[in-house]
Amino acid sequence: MNLSLCHEDGFYRAGGNLSAKWRISRVPLDEVQGIEISVMWHTEGKGDEDLHVHHFQRLAENQIRRVGLADEQSIRCVLPVTPLSYHGRLISVQWCVRMRLFLANGREIVAEQPFYLVSDKMAVPHSVEAIKSPLSLPQSTDSHNEKVVVHSSAS
Amino acid sequence: MVHANGIVRWLSSLNYQAEIVMPRFPKPWSKKRGKRNLGNSLAGEAGEVAFYAAVFLVGVFGLSLVLINEVAPESVAQVPTDALRTGLSTWVIGVLSLAALVTGGASLLYRLARIGASSERRSAIAKMAGSIEMLGPSADDGKPLPSVPKGSAITESPGERLTYRLAAEKTKASIAGPATLALLWSSVWFVLLAVVVSGFWYGRPRWYLAMLLVPFAVIGVWSFRFFMTQFRQHAGVGPTIVEISNHPLFPGRQYRLFVSQTGRLKLKRLTVQLTCEEETFYRQGTDVRVDRHEAICQVIFKERNVAVDPQAPWEQQLQLDLPENVMHSFVGTHNAIRWKIVVIGESQPWPSFCRSFPVVVHPPGLPLKRNPR
Repeated sequence: MNLSLCHEDGFYRAGGNLSAKWRISRVPLDEVQGIEISVMWHTEGKGDEDLHVHHFQRLAENQIRRVGLADEQSIRCVLPVTPLSYHGRLISVQWCVRMRLFLANGREIVAEQPFYLVSDKMAVPHSVEAIKSPLSLPQSTDSHNEKVVVHSSAS
Repeated sequence: MVHANGIVRWLSSLNYQAEIVMPRFPKPWSKKRGKRNLGNSLAGEAGEVAFYAAVFLVGVFGLSLVLINEVAPESVAQVPTDALRTGLSTWVIGVLSLAALVTGGASLLYRLARIGASSERRSAIAKMAGSIEMLGPSADDGKPLPSVPKGSAITESPGERLTYRLAAEKTKASIAGPATLALLWSSVWFVLLAVVVSGFWYGRPRWYLAMLLVPFAVIGVWSFRFFMTQFRQHAGVGPTIVEISNHPLFPGRQYRLFVSQTGRLKLKRLTVQLTCEEETFYRQGTDVRVDRHEAICQVIFKERNVAVDPQAPWEQQLQLDLPENVMHSFVGTHNAIRWKIVVIGESQPWPSFCRSFPVVVHPPGLPLKRNPR
């Protein structure tokens, strides 16, 4: 599963446009039961996770058969103004494009491409450390940062 | 050597086979350890479904027994009609059964709806349901800011010196609890004292009870002192008034602040500060715990040896500089980032006090709200 964003540095202005391209390879078409693509934020840290989907697209089995898996697909959306990306001690607000692939044997494959939602007047995401020390740019979210997780929900 | 290698390979193959063949007993629960989830989530869901189904069925069974007993006891010959005919107990069982039926049924439906749908899909469905406008468009003229509190309650009160008077955060400590504890404990202690005295009076002394009166008296004194501390804090320290020139706040901007403290106090130190607090809720077993961390603390004003008189309250005009590149206010289901103006007084002989006045910080670059003045 390949998921790439239109901005190579992974920084997006609040209220701006986001487009992402995705492709699935080396998975037979008849094994795929559904695909979900979400533009969302979720929290990380000590507390229980909060999750909110901003843009959601689901391709059912018949739609996948019609579109096929050979070509690269894309999604577009207008990002909201808030919540901006944040990295604190107890809470982190993390934006990402998440793709979930449902296979016929009940397994799920999840690929995630994180990005930063920043305000117009800022070049870096909010951070507690940024207040106390000189600003430091986080690592760019290139294709190496893409996370792929396999879930086996049928077992 | 070759032979030994062969044995090792054979043993390792046995071990491998054992790992595959050995069935793992599925745990009907799952646990969250930090970011990791221990146990199979599906097994946990199945365990919950089984539990709520059992509660629902117990409710159905109990309610059926009560209804048969009350409505048509003669129609079912097998049911012993006098089994539950004891007046109050029938209704108690009926109410408990109904509660089990409703709780079990609702929880079962909720759990079943969660199975088979990804967390993203559930969130998208919830968002879609939330966007259906039942009563027409909202009256809010401004562009909505998802996950940012509106703070409309903050701007409800106009100020006398500045535009808005901020509402103080309700303190968790109330005087009713300590007062009830002190009163009840003292009452119990005096009842026990009466029993002991009457025992001595009639020549049948209760020594064990008499000895127990001593530790009970210590607890009574402690509860009374705790009540007195709370009472002094409530009675001695007058109200704190905080007014602000504009609201909501934007990073990088300046605001005027008016702070007033009334009462009869001699403060060792008075501090006014702006804080940004991270707040998280998490479940640990069956408890819901809260953790807070002060991410930013900016002291706006600090003064030593402040005297406050009922005729001349302490008043101060201050300037608040909100730093740039700070996170806006954020509220999720389990996580929040809250901004507040905090007034802390260290006083003698009254206890110290700390009063918080929540404010909302918006992200930069948004149009300013029209000032009502």
